[in-house]
Parts: sequence; structure tokens; C-alpha cells
Amino acid sequence: MNTRPDRDGDEQLRLLDAAWEEAARYWRDEVARQFAADHWTPLAQQARAYLEALRALMDMLETAERETDF
Amino acid sequence: MTWVGSGGTNRVHADIDALKGFHEALVRFRYAQRAVAERGDDEIEMTRASLAAKASHWQAQLEQRQADLDACRARSGATTDCSAYAWAVEQAAERLEHVRRWQQRVDTEASEFGGTASAFLDLLENDVPRAERQLLALIASLEAARRVQAGGGLPV
Repeated sequence: MNTRPDRDGDEQLRLLDAAWEEAARYWRDEVARQFAADHWTPLAQQARAYLEALRALMDMLETAERETDF
Repeated sequence: MTWVGSGGTNRVHADIDALKGFHEALVRFRYAQRAVAERGDDEIEMTRASLAAKASHWQAQLEQRQADLDACRARSGATTDCSAYAWAVEQAAERLEHVRRWQQRVDTEASEFGGTASAFLDLLENDVPRAERQLLALIASLEAARRVQAGGGLPV
């Protein structure tokens, strides 16, 4: 496990993305396209936005600790 | 999902395995990201607590140093130099203000982050389980079709 939650989250998203790519190699019909539009694309986009925001927040928290250590 | 031809049996096995793999990855992702979110909240709270302790420390330092300065001024005549005490008071005040500014920034940015986090967690709690159910239904239908295929039929 990584130290920071955002890095663990990134790793989990990478694993999920790989699983999706594998499934998408075989699953290419209209149901797959609908599933991608309804579920996969929004999930991947929101996960990336969330993890980017979490990364920025964790960076800021580390800076806050460092900058207030006198 | 459709499959045809003499390689159909192998193909549908791979289809089902890949979908099962994705479904399992999706379930793991949902639980793992919940844990990530909880750890993120914990980090925010730990930093808030740390900054609060630092603010408390520098508030106490400021009060102590101010008392020392007041005592110096009270006991001294015009010839006594209290500038070191005055400098110490100024330092404590600056550090206290610095910590308070960081407290405000953490509160502001944590609040802004909360909006993004809330939308994502809502997706995890509501949409992802729906997607998981849809995948399970699809896997079940493929497995049923595979049984038919094994029994002599060839779904197209």
C-alpha cells in the first residue's frame, strides 16, 4: 500500500482501466457501447477528476505541515 | 453479445472471463475507493488537529512572551534593554498568524474538495452497483447461452 491515499486510488483506477480494456477486446456490441456511455465513461472521468483533486489536496496538506514546522 | 463460427465456444469463454474479470475489478474498485476517501478524510482531520495544536502552542507562547516583556518593562528603568523580549513577542505573533492562515486555507480547500468528493462517492454508492448488476445479468445470460451451445445449439 502506498503512503498517500491518492496514489492508492490511482493504482486502483489503473487496475480497473486494464480490466475494462480486456473486457472491451471481446465486448463490442451495442450493449457494450451503451454500457460505456452510461457507466464506464462517467465513472472513469469522475474518478480521474476526484483523484486529481485528492492529489492536490494531499500536496496542500503536506505543505501546510511543512510550512508551520518552526 | 454475438459470436459465430467454429471458434465460438472458445470465444464465448474468453468473453465471459473478461466480463467476470471486469466485474470483479469494479467491485474491488468500489471498496478500495471508499477506503481511499476515508483515508483522505482522515488526512484532513489529522492536519486540522496538528494545525490546531500548533496554533494553541503559539498562542501560549505569545502570552508567555508578552508577560515576559511586560515584566521586563515593569522592572526596568530607561536603561534596560527589553528589545529581545519584544522581538520574541513579535516572532510568536507572526508564527501564530502564519498557522492561522494555513488553518483557513485548509478549511477552504477541504470544503472545495468536498464537492468533488461528494459527486464521486455518490457515483460509487449508486451508479457503480447498478453497473455491477448489469454486468452480472449479462454474464448470467452468456453462461445460459453457453449451456445451450454445449447442448447442441449455437447462439448467434
